[in-house]
Amino acid sequence: MPQSPDPGASLPPSQPSRGWDSGSVGSRLQHGFFYLLIRIGGKPLAYVLLAVVVLWYVCYPSTRRKCSHYLRRRFPHRNGRLQRFLDSYRLVLSLGKLLIDRAALGIVGPATLQVTFPDGPQLLEVLAEEKGLVMVGSHVGCWQTALSAFDHVPAGVNLVIHRAENDIDLHYFEHSGEAPPFRIIDPAKEFLGGVLSMLEVLRRGEILGLMGDRVFGGDQHRLGVEFLGEPAVFPLSPYVLASSAGSPIVVLFSHRTGRNSYTLELAKVIHVPEGIGRDEEAMRPYVRQFAEALEGYVERHPWQFMNFFDMWDISSLDTTTPKENGGAA
Amino acid sequence: MKDKLKQVIIDGLNLEDLTPADIGDDDALFGEGLGLDSLDAVELVILVQKHFGVAIKDMKEGQAAFQSVNTLATYIAEHRQA
Repeated sequence: MPQSPDPGASLPPSQPSRGWDSGSVGSRLQHGFFYLLIRIGGKPLAYVLLAVVVLWYVCYPSTRRKCSHYLRRRFPHRNGRLQRFLDSYRLVLSLGKLLIDRAALGIVGPATLQVTFPDGPQLLEVLAEEKGLVMVGSHVGCWQTALSAFDHVPAGVNLVIHRAENDIDLHYFEHSGEAPPFRIIDPAKEFLGGVLSMLEVLRRGEILGLMGDRVFGGDQHRLGVEFLGEPAVFPLSPYVLASSAGSPIVVLFSHRTGRNSYTLELAKVIHVPEGIGRDEEAMRPYVRQFAEALEGYVERHPWQFMNFFDMWDISSLDTTTPKENGGAA
Repeated sequence: MKDKLKQVIIDGLNLEDLTPADIGDDDALFGEGLGLDSLDAVELVILVQKHFGVAIKDMKEGQAAFQSVNTLATYIAEHRQA
């Protein structure tokens, strides 16, 4: 998944918050078996096995705990043990279907999916400002399938992606061995977490895509704003980059509308004034706009929120800045 | 030039406890030295353009320039003349 940059001077963004990592569920062999099923019997066969495998995984308390961060905020009154188990099953099953759809996109080809983007003209209008574009997404729906709706977008697309060492899920383009249809900026491999490259593409008028709902351990540029009734941690970097480059932000979410169909929606356009720098309080209204857009999404599509990270753990918020801490972030 | 650059860094990045004399010409700007981080780098790109009229467009060159006050001052001087 695209991620917000790790702004640490030289820190890799691979140290997530306590008790959580972005590694894949299941072994490489298990993933390979699902890929084989897709080749043999298409998605329906893979879905059948998925239903059983998900039941197995949801029996693990650790799986249900990862689901609970979101579920208890989104469904605060559904807190019985059986109900929570069923909700966890539904959420993980939804994740599994998205992953199968993504794999099928690469294995069988794009013809297997219909992706609609009714807000496409609005995106083109924002791009026509020629100030670059910060595309902030979230761990909802399947962004990789949604990107196929970008074929007609007349600008280079650059995605901030870092793959954890234990993340063995293949990106859809990797199944066919093709080059990705976008440029990847890996914050772990570039100087200063890749922010200079990010700024460069914005100044060229291109699109920079990153995630707005997850902060990794090395990233101290974070802000707590309300999300689903409680303060949650969001990355500041997308907003600082937008302010510095004078680029508008578009909030894009995808959702699965059927077995073979997805819709990409432009949920919000955010204009962060230039010159704010990294003033957290000045940035707060814009981060909150993103959180509001995400709240609207999970209201409409409650089972397609795939951020199993505890973003409500605000203990990581430090009242001091990195500089006050006396060192690099 | 170097003193002006140091003052720009201090003022622009709100390093209120520092004076230009506290920043060595060869001190690392990021990490162990001055302790700047990546979002400071974003601001520094903007500050250099605003105060010195030099746009750091090639980020590979920027990487070399952002090592210290010395390297950044050299980069600015070279690109001002260009």
